[in-house]
Amino acid sequence: MKLFEFARERQWVPITGYLIYVSALTAGYYYNLTFVQLGLTDLGTQKIGMPPGDVSIVMAILALLTLVAAVASGVLMDRRGWSTDLYVKFRLLFLVIFVQLLLTIAAPHVSTIEQFVLWVIVCSMALGVGIPVSFSFMLDFVPVRDRGYVAAIVAGLSFFVAALYPIEWRIDEFSLVMSAMMVPAVFVLAVLSVKRFRFVDSLASQHKRDTFGTGRFCRPIPVRTVSFAFWGPILLMFGVFFIDSLGFLRIIETPQYIYTSWQSPDLSVRLFIAVLHVIGALAAGVIYTNFDRNWLFFWVFGLFAFTHLLYVFHIQFGAGDTPPLVLPMFYVLAVSFYTTLNFALWPDLSTPETIGTHTALGVGIAGWLATFLSTSLALYSEGVGLSLLNHLTYVNALALLFVVALPVLLYVHRMVELARGGTTP
Amino acid sequence: MNLELIPLLIIVLLMISAGGADVETTEFVIEGDHEITEHRGALIVGDATVTVPADEAVSGPVYVIGGEFRIHGTVEGDVTQLSGSLVVEDGATIDGELQHIGGSEELSTEATIMEQTTVAFESSEPSPIAAYTPIVLTTLILAVVGALLSRKHEPLLDNVGAAAKDHPLISLTVGALLSVTFLSVFVFMAFTLILLPVSILGLLVGLLIIAYGIIALGYLAGQQLNTPRVGLATGLGVVVVMVLLQVTGVIPILGDLIAGGLLLTGLGAVVLTYFGLQEFEPVSLPE
Repeated sequence: MKLFEFARERQWVPITGYLIYVSALTAGYYYNLTFVQLGLTDLGTQKIGMPPGDVSIVMAILALLTLVAAVASGVLMDRRGWSTDLYVKFRLLFLVIFVQLLLTIAAPHVSTIEQFVLWVIVCSMALGVGIPVSFSFMLDFVPVRDRGYVAAIVAGLSFFVAALYPIEWRIDEFSLVMSAMMVPAVFVLAVLSVKRFRFVDSLASQHKRDTFGTGRFCRPIPVRTVSFAFWGPILLMFGVFFIDSLGFLRIIETPQYIYTSWQSPDLSVRLFIAVLHVIGALAAGVIYTNFDRNWLFFWVFGLFAFTHLLYVFHIQFGAGDTPPLVLPMFYVLAVSFYTTLNFALWPDLSTPETIGTHTALGVGIAGWLATFLSTSLALYSEGVGLSLLNHLTYVNALALLFVVALPVLLYVHRMVELARGGTTP
Repeated sequence: MNLELIPLLIIVLLMISAGGADVETTEFVIEGDHEITEHRGALIVGDATVTVPADEAVSGPVYVIGGEFRIHGTVEGDVTQLSGSLVVEDGATIDGELQHIGGSEELSTEATIMEQTTVAFESSEPSPIAAYTPIVLTTLILAVVGALLSRKHEPLLDNVGAAAKDHPLISLTVGALLSVTFLSVFVFMAFTLILLPVSILGLLVGLLIIAYGIIALGYLAGQQLNTPRVGLATGLGVVVVMVLLQVTGVIPILGDLIAGGLLLTGLGAVVLTYFGLQEFEPVSLPE
């Protein structure tokens, strides 16, 4: 790892960059996992009493607005040169976190549908701007060599904490805790936004170094925005996020499976899941760093297909028993794998000139749009009374489709290259 | 799930398959405490405590491969015990044959058992020589195969050994992921019965890959002897690795982790190098 090299040479500034990146992204992703994904559903269905179908529509709106805000801000960042200006990015992040702090404080007081819709619109704006800003930090702070491992640490840590806290979802209590945690971050970012520091100057120029700036898959030829090399991974990641959310929401709402999920009241089960998230993320980091990314995609789809097959099998033949932990084990591995991939992939498909647009499109379409569309679909399927067995059978079919589609897609892509006269693999 | 259950589970599935039972009604209880009051088809008791309450009747056949099976009521069919614990209480009834192959059993004299057979094996406390014979034989076979392989196809072992030595973290990660995934897939396949042969074949191939990994690690260990007789060095190296695996096994938890780590690293290195047919090189990243 390059980090060890920095430590040996006592280069503390780049090491600070690692710490800033891990802290910012872990906190951000934790907030997303808990407050946005779980909190939004809870706020709509439990606190306001909206029917699941209506909440699904609001979530779809959130997804679309987040995507629009992300792409608009990402493109703007690239055009204005903000993607490579660390101070501007700190200012933007300050704004995002400040708005999120206000939203967090306001959440327990949301009591009408109008307020809820307004809350969602503002939330989507903050999320949208936050995507290209936070994901593009990798360019400034993490050298290409270490991106897989650092992404693994971020994914593992955020899932580890989210699996253990909150044990019981109460929006009032959680809002208070989250607000208290966000205030210091807002303060630090406010200082960094207005005052120049020598170590930040040094960090701000790191993207110009060969080891930092240009992503792994942009060497020697940068990946263009309109190319198969960019939209292929977006399609695959969209599939991954879609499959995950489509199955997850129905599984955690089924009493039989709550005991072996994130929502389990048994602390040992949650600890098991938390530790497995870390192990899975680290394994994904090793694979991402040392193999072609397609292997990681293949593993993810394979794991999801097998996981849903296990769930379907258990629903059919499990006689209503609490499922064995091997079921959530594979689920957790798959989720950790693709989350690690998500953090590292988009910056590695970018150059300093394209990182705003590419991270916005990648995370916006593959992550947010897919997650919220599938969550909406899951809520809809629940609303129309589709059984869990049928629902998971569809999810499993989708996962299997991607397992088959991935090698076919790669093969066809190679064929097209050869037909055009290309020879390099 | 306790990994030691897997061979017994496969044997039981073979028995169910041979008996013509319907796999769709077969239930495998892996863990927890359960009271069974209603059941159709075959029941397999794994690492769980399963109780048939008094005045209740469940259909057989029942196979006990671990955990505990307590009968207060009635089992309408055969009960086969391969391992674990079987308790038949006062007033309990087994309408079929109780076949005891292994494990502990506690049968009340007040219980009604239609037919009872015991498959007797040799003493469960074998002498030290008998206990170590399989390990010694395995070590000898691996050492001989390793010696021959290193003399005739040294580059194969060289590639696998280099992957394990130069990239232990990658080999371990790949080995661990493959073993966890494929072990689960093969057990799952076994439940379909129709894929049971594939499952057994897969597990055998897995064992062969692990054996290959041990030979490659032995080859690496043998290189430390600095002798031109590569066959002899590999053979001795394999013996060293096998002894190391046995010795570390004595240390609780940590020993198992070390032994497991070694085996998985070997397995990963074999797969990464396509059984030694090519060198493993991670993707190139800017330094």
